[in-house]
Amino acid sequence: MSTMTPPLQPDSVVATPRDGLPDARDRILLVDDDGRIRQALSLALDDEGFAVWAVASGEQALAALGRENTDVVLLDLMLPGMDGLAVCRRLRAQGDLPIIIITARSDSSEVIAGLEAGADDYVTKPIVAGELAARIRALLRRSRPTTDGGELWVGDIELRPDQGLVRCHRGGSDPTGIHLTRTEFRLLVELATAEGKVVTREDLLRRVWGYDYLGDTRLLDVHVRRLRVKIEPDPDAPTLVLTVRGAGYRAVGRADATG
Amino acid sequence: MSFALVSLAITGLLAAVTWKLASDFLVAKREQGATSQAAIDARLVQDAPRDPAGADSEGLLTGLAGGGDITVAVRRAGTWTTSGHPIDVDALPDELLALANSGVAARQRVMLGGIPVLAVALPLRDGLYLELAPLTELDATLRFLSWVLVVGVGVSGLLGLALGGWASTRALRPLTDLRDAAARMAAGDLDARLPEQDDADLAPLAVTFNRTAEDLQRRVRRDVRFAGDVSHELRSPLTTLVNAVAVLRRRRDDLPLPARQAVDLLDADVHRFQKMVTELLEISRDEQIDPRDLEVCDVVDVVAHALATRPDVVLDVRGSPPQVPVDRRRLDRVVMNLLENAEQHAGGAVRVGVASSSVGVRIEVDDAGPGIPVELRDEVFERFSRGANAGRREDSGGTGLGLALVARHVRAHHGRIHIEDSPDGGARVVVELPWCTT
Repeated sequence: MSTMTPPLQPDSVVATPRDGLPDARDRILLVDDDGRIRQALSLALDDEGFAVWAVASGEQALAALGRENTDVVLLDLMLPGMDGLAVCRRLRAQGDLPIIIITARSDSSEVIAGLEAGADDYVTKPIVAGELAARIRALLRRSRPTTDGGELWVGDIELRPDQGLVRCHRGGSDPTGIHLTRTEFRLLVELATAEGKVVTREDLLRRVWGYDYLGDTRLLDVHVRRLRVKIEPDPDAPTLVLTVRGAGYRAVGRADATG
Repeated sequence: MSFALVSLAITGLLAAVTWKLASDFLVAKREQGATSQAAIDARLVQDAPRDPAGADSEGLLTGLAGGGDITVAVRRAGTWTTSGHPIDVDALPDELLALANSGVAARQRVMLGGIPVLAVALPLRDGLYLELAPLTELDATLRFLSWVLVVGVGVSGLLGLALGGWASTRALRPLTDLRDAAARMAAGDLDARLPEQDDADLAPLAVTFNRTAEDLQRRVRRDVRFAGDVSHELRSPLTTLVNAVAVLRRRRDDLPLPARQAVDLLDADVHRFQKMVTELLEISRDEQIDPRDLEVCDVVDVVAHALATRPDVVLDVRGSPPQVPVDRRRLDRVVMNLLENAEQHAGGAVRVGVASSSVGVRIEVDDAGPGIPVELRDEVFERFSRGANAGRREDSGGTGLGLALVARHVRAHHGRIHIEDSPDGGARVVVELPWCTT
């Protein structure tokens, strides 16, 4: 596969502010080594209302992210040089910037690997801008603070959706903050809102990822696994977010304050 | 079987020879004994003093006859004097008496009153001496011997049959294995292999067979993979195409008419192309379902969802169809593809039935078309089969892969699919999914 773009020179096909105003559109960084895909996707996503800038490698992406504001990263996993999974892990280690990975085949282990590396969602080639835009919008929705007031509890975990805050009241000491990605946070909020009732996988996929029907359950399962690692005392024997076989997931209610 | 027959023939022959030799020997021995006994007796009768009437002494004859079951008879001057078992002398064969009359000792086995008897006739100076020794004992002995031999032959035959069967199964097992493996392979199981053979004659055959099977399997895999690889490589240019066309389509109204028409054509076919590539990728993918993707689910839910955007199609749920373990995404594809196929080729679906069946759950999709002729009903599940729609594909927007994909997904669930006539004259595609998919 050849790339015709010289390194460190992002294609700035359409990322120009309109009407002299600062561009208020959501900014998307596209990382793909295929120049034609970069151009075509940039044009089409621009039509969908996003400001796109594109780079050809992981190294360029990491360098560019240091300089520019970005709302969502679109990351091809097959990259020359630094591989997409490594970029994904690096980005996740730096914060909870929403990441959508672009995979070669939906049935490959690549999807799982990408999700476990911290991606929020994935799309499979051939990518259709319209469908991709829907995924991006759903992801951006979760990235914005919600207006839900009040607090929610899952066992000894306290959630404040209005502030995007998660605190763990464990062991009697002062509550410790837990850092969740936006997707993990939204997932936990959906489970907590059900107040101990089972939430089906379809409902979770719809409410969190915006799939109208039959999303990939692997997406959900990997995120639940990641969530458990962060909030469960023992992720291998979960006591807060429970799997209900054949139905979905269930979060336990508020634990005694003495916990 | 032939082994048993040979064994039977050999033991039968041996038995027959044994029987012949033993019976001849025993009979000869008995005859010899009886004859010499008779000769001695005859001499006694000959030399015995006679009473004045010239009649033989009753006492002597009784003595000769006594003890055994022997019958003794003497004829002098045409009169028979008998002792022992009363006999009817006239029942004796004439030749025997005639032979003795002419001065030659004769003996013969005859049946008298249902008893086998050895008759010895000896000429006397002035008459005929006749001694009849029953052969009942000998007969019983011979009968026992023959019984033993017959049973022996029978047992040996059975043993031969069993031994032959066992030996031939053992000897033929490698061939049976070969036949089974070849049959499995012919039925499409490319994993069929022969176990390694100890037999020096068969080992090369097994090796060759397995190598051929491996080559075949590799070739089939390569062909399947080729379709996948081609589709895979097509996806990057396709992504460019799809999105560039989307940009054009959005500006369709700004274009002059010919360009607008060109964009419309491009748009439609790029989408078909995209669908075809996606389906080719799906079809060239491993048919095995990852058990983790299996989920017990209500087929009615999936069908109802697919029908949500098709209000004209009747959902006909009979009884309470059981929940079955399925890969939901594949089942969704199955239902969607069946509905799309009916729309593209047969005027749309009119009814979707869900019911329980003997194996699990049964889904029926009835369309409004003219039905599918019996001879085309298998063919429509082939990739790119034109089937009943030959020459009409360009209007339908179909990829030619929809039903092949359906069949593949159904097979992956160990289910069955076939086509019937619907009661309303259209075609009915029937999918059956089992309770248990493993």
